[in-house]
Amino acid sequence: MKRFLTPKGVIGVTLVLLMLLTAVVAPLLIPADFATRMTMTARLRPPSALHWLGTDQLGRDLLYRVMLGARTSLMIAAAAVMMSLVLGLPLGMISGFYRGRIDNVLMRLVDTLLSFPVLLLALTISAMLGPSVPNAIVAIGVAFTPFLARIVRGEALRVTQMPYVEAARAAGANDFQLIWRHVLPNVMPPIIVQATISLAFAILAEAGLSFLGLGTQPPQSSWGLMIQASRDYLDVAPWTGLVPGAAVALTVLGLNMSGDILRDVFDPRTK
Amino acid sequence: MTYILNRLLSIALTLFLISVLTFAVTTILPGDVATMIMGTQSNPDALAGLRKSLGLNDPLVVQYGRWIGGMMTGDWGRSLIFKVPIADLLIQKIKASSLIVVLSMAIAAICAVPLGVWAAVHRNRWQDAFSSSAALVGVSLPDFFWGIIMILLFARVLGWFPSSGFADPAMGLLPALSHAFLPSLALGLGLMAHLTRMTRSTMTGILNQEFIRVGRAKGLAERTIVWRYALANAIGPVMTVAGLQVGYLFGSIIVIETLFNYTGMGWLTYQALLNRDIPLIQATLFVIAAVVMLANLVVDLLYLYVDPRIRLE
Repeated sequence: MKRFLTPKGVIGVTLVLLMLLTAVVAPLLIPADFATRMTMTARLRPPSALHWLGTDQLGRDLLYRVMLGARTSLMIAAAAVMMSLVLGLPLGMISGFYRGRIDNVLMRLVDTLLSFPVLLLALTISAMLGPSVPNAIVAIGVAFTPFLARIVRGEALRVTQMPYVEAARAAGANDFQLIWRHVLPNVMPPIIVQATISLAFAILAEAGLSFLGLGTQPPQSSWGLMIQASRDYLDVAPWTGLVPGAAVALTVLGLNMSGDILRDVFDPRTK
Repeated sequence: MTYILNRLLSIALTLFLISVLTFAVTTILPGDVATMIMGTQSNPDALAGLRKSLGLNDPLVVQYGRWIGGMMTGDWGRSLIFKVPIADLLIQKIKASSLIVVLSMAIAAICAVPLGVWAAVHRNRWQDAFSSSAALVGVSLPDFFWGIIMILLFARVLGWFPSSGFADPAMGLLPALSHAFLPSLALGLGLMAHLTRMTRSTMTGILNQEFIRVGRAKGLAERTIVWRYALANAIGPVMTVAGLQVGYLFGSIIVIETLFNYTGMGWLTYQALLNRDIPLIQATLFVIAAVVMLANLVVDLLYLYVDPRIRLE
């Protein structure tokens, strides 16, 4: 707990909690049409008492849009990381636990997938499936799977050789019991760290996908989509791009800081 | 030598797997070349006829064999949107992109190594806090956001560089560099942040080692210890991270080239994906994955060169 009480830990966790709170509470408090309601007489207004973060090119309030966009961006990122865990955890676990030929075949596949840049793989899958929120989740989730699988495999290899696993095997535990009760709980800490960092990368990937028009589709608001829409108005209304850009940066910064602290907490070498 | 032969064999196998995956991703997922050519509203009979003539009704193995056979003999097919041979198109675009890849890596390395060393030498002091915070902010901002800020600052406000477009180096190096500079800077900043973090953590570990203490005890100048002995040991891991970042770079290049309308490989990939130009998607995916893999091989071989301990192992 002490390690979280460093400036980095406090700032990181506060930023993440703030964004999570926004993503959960904002849609309950703000009617959905607030983010899409256009006021053509109030286009590209700078921040003021009426519009705290200004308005966009269609006169939509940026504060509402960025708050409602939080749910879309975080939801896509969280679901994608969850999907990569669901796919990568068994893949890496089987590879690391059984080793030998299974490991060779699975890791060759994983290494091949790792040759494709994550964003390129995500863009290709999203383009082939058609741009939408569920497809963006699948695209980012599949693209992140090889990283998770590699880390799980490495950890499973290490844990499987531990004396307590040998002891449990000698005591008559079967493979499933060994994996479920002894290997899985002990590989979780680095996986949690990786998942936190992956969440940060997934937010960036979602923003990139939406920026290129292959992620969230209008009129739904997402941070990447907002940055994309701001491109033509930046010299007259820079806040239209800076507001969603800052939202992405603060969330990713919070996740990266939390990931760094979690790594310190879980890594025995730094204790 | 055996190591290099083993690596080459492994590359041949991985290239084969890359080709299978590339073909699978673009064939199994919905949407085919015939629909792309004729549109979704076309006559079903005409569509079926085109599918037959393109061989899309053949078993997948046959289709794969035809595709990979073409790739190996230099017949990469024609782009559906650009109506030109894909091989010529790719060569032209790779040339354009290599300029910004090299420039961005140079920008990243020139800035990241001194910054990381500076942070490690002043560990837990304000210099470290400043450098580490800057790097953390750097990795947290999307590349395209950096790109937008660059356009705003250097093109619109200061007017120093063009905000978009590509200039062929054959027509003059200066216009080519001025068009490539802002996209390279946007790409290089993210890369620099990753490299700074890596340099700092590697150097921190090395500066605590015995041989550094021996150097200090012998009265070597601190500058010699840091830049000659410590950095020489840190450069291997930093190079490995730089090699791994080539993949990241080829992902980011799609967004950055599209933002800057820089007509290179990234821009071409985006056009292929947006228009579902399947033959072009297949070729670009294959080429990019192969380039990323080869870049990692080059880094491994350079690692052998800079760190004799690895050769001995």
